[in-house]
Amino acid sequence: MDLGVIIAGILTLAIYSFLYKDNSIYKMAESLLIGLSIGYTLVIFWQSTMIDLLIVPLFGNGKIILIVPLALGLMMFGRFSTSFSWLSRIPLSFMIGAGAGVAIPAMLYARTLKQVSASVAPLITESGSFNFSELVIVIGLLSTLAYFYFGRRREGVFGRIAGVGTYFLMIFFGATFGYTVMSRLSTLIGRVDFLLTDFLHILK
Amino acid sequence: MLLISFDHEASSLPEIKPIAQVILRHAFSRNLRIIGMSLFAEGTAIGYNMLSETAREFDKGYGSDFVFLGFKPQYISAILGMGESIRSVFPEDYLGNPLDSLPLMKHIDNYDSISMVISIADGDRAVQWIEYAGARYNQKILAGLTAAMITTYDPYLNSGQLYSVVGGLKGAAEYETLYGRPGSGSRGLLAQTTSHIFIIALIIIGNIIYFRNRASRKGRG
Repeated sequence: MDLGVIIAGILTLAIYSFLYKDNSIYKMAESLLIGLSIGYTLVIFWQSTMIDLLIVPLFGNGKIILIVPLALGLMMFGRFSTSFSWLSRIPLSFMIGAGAGVAIPAMLYARTLKQVSASVAPLITESGSFNFSELVIVIGLLSTLAYFYFGRRREGVFGRIAGVGTYFLMIFFGATFGYTVMSRLSTLIGRVDFLLTDFLHILK
Repeated sequence: MLLISFDHEASSLPEIKPIAQVILRHAFSRNLRIIGMSLFAEGTAIGYNMLSETAREFDKGYGSDFVFLGFKPQYISAILGMGESIRSVFPEDYLGNPLDSLPLMKHIDNYDSISMVISIADGDRAVQWIEYAGARYNQKILAGLTAAMITTYDPYLNSGQLYSVVGGLKGAAEYETLYGRPGSGSRGLLAQTTSHIFIIALIIIGNIIYFRNRASRKGRG
């Protein structure tokens, strides 16, 4: 049997030992998982960012302009000293400014304008039939918005509309929860399948 | 030409692998060429292995039928940068080959040469593909998602920003059936359906016990 499969099988059983009670074998497997994940990610980041994007182009290919991001990166470490902590505000403000400049137009378009335009569709289709789904979307949208409008007391007609909104919210949360259960079951099935097929060879 | 981004962690592999496998098998069986990459550090080696394994099934060669570009941090700048020039974001592939040395990449410069992007994601990374590659560069975006993420992406699917979705084990099993080659998705779905029936039975039993207890309390009171 492949050594990797043996290690993976033992570590899977070590994690599942928590179902019995918290124990040192579980803790060891948990620490190993966290350590490996962080170590792997750190190596990948170091190689793909520091080496590929900074050290090789700057010192190997002579791209002098890269001194600017290097300096900004070093300024971030100013936070570790009280007398130099002001230095870190420069790269932080640069990052927040650039990030907001890039993200705001894209998010406004993709998350707001496109979603609003997708919500506004004719109730009667081109073929003349009634678009029931669109009616549900309109009722759901308006009633849910009413639920989240806090500038007015929830009473009378407004209160009843907001009440309808709670049903739409519950349907959404129910669907999300159902899908999440489905997702977690898939993960469990995958692990059990691995244990019974690859590790223990009980199933073929 | 497809760009497939493996934007997931190792923990979601039991659900993600059947989705990725059936998409890759379908693409290779149609002789489509594939560029692989990852916006998640953990997805890098997994994505490369899945791509290479599936390519071997169809006798596809590295560099001519598929390449793997590797991982890039700062996903927004990576997605936007690839719209201008893939070479500026990935001067080399995952194996350290310069892109110009790979026949597949000779005439590929940006999204103009790529017909669609498929993000295999267990989180919201596909949203960034929609917001930046889709909105700014009019790139067609598709996604293979874990079931937990389906409701998050439904609005994008309804608005047409997301062209298509393969969601969870169920989606993988449906795709495998359409493709005509049942795999790990179909096998997992059988177990999943059984466990769903078990959960429904537990809910019914729990409710019966609850209502019986309530009725007996009322009777005593």
